[in-house]
Amino acid sequence: MKKLLTLTLVCLLAFSAFAQGASEAKTGEVTLEWWTWDTGMIEQNQSIIKEYEATHPGVKINNTVIATDGGAYKTQLSVLAQQKALPDVFMLSSGDLEEWASTGLCRNLDDLVASDPEIYKKFYESMFTSLKDVAKTDYLPGFPFAYVSCDMFYNKDAFDAAGLAYPNENWTWDDFLKAAKALTIDKNGDGEIDQWGYYGYGRYAEAQAWIFANGGVLTNDKTHKFEPNQNALDAIQFMSDLVNVYKVAPSPKDMSAIKYKTIFPNQICAMFVDGGWFADDFRKTIGDKFQWGVTRVPVGPHGAPKTTYGWPDSYVISPFTKHAKEAWEFTKYIAGEGIGLDQFMAGKMPAYKALVESDAFVDMTQQPYGDMQLFRDHASDTFVTSYTQGWSEWVGYGAAESMGLNGAVDSILNGETTIAQVLPSLKESIDKILARYY
Amino acid sequence: MSEKQKFKWHSWATPWILVFPTLIGLVIFRLIPIVSSFFLSFTKWNLITDPKFIGLKNFKELFSDPVFWKILGNTLKITAGYVTGGMIFGLLLALLVNNKLRGMNFFRAAIYMPVITSSVAVGIVWTRILGPKYGILDFFLKKIGITAPYWLQDPSLAIWTVTFVQVWKMSGYYMILFLAGLQAISKEVIEASVVDGATPTQRLFRVTIPMLAPTTFFVLTVAIMDAFKNFELIYAMTMGGPQNATNTLVYSVYLNAFSYNRVGYAESIAWVLMVVVGLLTVGNFFIKKYWAQPLE
Repeated sequence: MKKLLTLTLVCLLAFSAFAQGASEAKTGEVTLEWWTWDTGMIEQNQSIIKEYEATHPGVKINNTVIATDGGAYKTQLSVLAQQKALPDVFMLSSGDLEEWASTGLCRNLDDLVASDPEIYKKFYESMFTSLKDVAKTDYLPGFPFAYVSCDMFYNKDAFDAAGLAYPNENWTWDDFLKAAKALTIDKNGDGEIDQWGYYGYGRYAEAQAWIFANGGVLTNDKTHKFEPNQNALDAIQFMSDLVNVYKVAPSPKDMSAIKYKTIFPNQICAMFVDGGWFADDFRKTIGDKFQWGVTRVPVGPHGAPKTTYGWPDSYVISPFTKHAKEAWEFTKYIAGEGIGLDQFMAGKMPAYKALVESDAFVDMTQQPYGDMQLFRDHASDTFVTSYTQGWSEWVGYGAAESMGLNGAVDSILNGETTIAQVLPSLKESIDKILARYY
Repeated sequence: MSEKQKFKWHSWATPWILVFPTLIGLVIFRLIPIVSSFFLSFTKWNLITDPKFIGLKNFKELFSDPVFWKILGNTLKITAGYVTGGMIFGLLLALLVNNKLRGMNFFRAAIYMPVITSSVAVGIVWTRILGPKYGILDFFLKKIGITAPYWLQDPSLAIWTVTFVQVWKMSGYYMILFLAGLQAISKEVIEASVVDGATPTQRLFRVTIPMLAPTTFFVLTVAIMDAFKNFELIYAMTMGGPQNATNTLVYSVYLNAFSYNRVGYAESIAWVLMVVVGLLTVGNFFIKKYWAQPLE
């Protein structure tokens, strides 16, 4: 009885494992599994698949969309990785790229790129280089489809009312500070500030944008230790001074009753630094309430111009796929000719040149009008990131946002501690995290 | 019809067949995960590779980490505050609504409403209420010249604020349990105490509360278990901050398993949590043996 049960189970497992392969062999069709995390794109994905299947007979695509909320996407993908059953093509967060590549979970795409001489004519090579930098590999571990940069949004109406010229890419921290002071206003004279010059919420997309704009470095790639240079510390001090010395920005704890992303749209602050994707968000939340623009984060005294904090969004091809060529063709399609600008949040820069260079990219019918050119310009920038293995933990990302570097920056901005006081314990805890990986 | 004929369809396998679906669920969804988590607590596992056996390293790291002791302290503080607050407010509310007044069902439903409201929604609303600037409470306190403290941003206050919100949310549940207990108390006993000249206070402390002992024990057990399941509110209100001030064992399990991909380490925390809950449960049964017996 026991033997019979075991045999039945084994047969069932074997059958299900070979069922797909047998079906493919019978029909001559190749089925690619494609995993994405954007639940708002289910319909668009289906239309992409329809068009792709129509032009590529013999290839079928199954799209699985799982939200990133609560780590659901990553957890399910990880389980498949452990079972060596990854989907053929899948989105992977830049923060995970190095660990996955070092574990052999990203197919080396160098041979496929080499066989495709047109690739860098169609896609920005700088994004491919950046992807390798993020993954710390000497081969291409994925295919970038977009680039995310961190930039500064500003309220044009507030600048007009204060009689100030709009910020531009040549702005220094002094220019920024002067404007922030002029834009910090108690409008009704009740002793409470109604409009702050700036608001910084201390999370990675804001804090690190200032750090890298000043030539800051957070970790040492050789020793794999947390070794912030003086430029990085100066940048954090500057952010703290905006709150505690110049009083041109509220502390994070004072703004905790308001969702941080609504502070700029509600005109509580006149300048705001975060991911470029907020262009899309602000189009929806601000509408025509006021005029706004977007420009580079002001360059610090030790920063280099056109050095941008950002990271690529990418697809990875499974190293276990039996259909690498088909997966490569499909990946090129979903990163390039198969998609339109409506599949991108405004403020994210597609890797596909034709999209970025199209007239529609700088959409003059809606905000931020001509300022969208900034995202085109980023294509020729030097990109910098802080990604390492264990990044989520030491930076304090997502559910851990009150911890790690973010937690320390919060305390400094809230005036509860100083850099000098917090640095030794912060270094000790981050080094402990990094030591687990390197 | 003889007894034998009545149960002729019944064989030795019948109970096993009936219990089989439950047993399967119990084994797959409870037993296997519990046993697996025990073994995983001795491994290093990042989900993407195979687990690697590392002996007691996770536990050694855990017990030598000052953050763990802080988190354990937070968990015990929240448990103490929540169990005490939940039971006191639950009982007071039950005493209040244990009257046959017109419209009482409305108040019972209103008090119970937060229990069935999503914890995340409750957390978000309370965060907006308690915000130091632009918060509703701050607005009213300012009107009467009081400067509100940083309820959720001050490390020494945050844990008690979160505990208070959890008590506010769940008191209605304990109210219902106590109400059931109160309504089971014999009216004759209460009337006899009135005839004997007991004052309302004496009736409460010498008759009602002692006769509620079995219910109180049940509420205590349930409240302790609830206290350890306070993940959603912390996630919505503080994310364990500021500076780990509201980080608890459950939140830390989540962080390590799903944010840091340290499944083995997360399992070791989960087992510490299980030992703590186990000890408290044993304590509960000790209390039951000597205290929470129904009055003869």
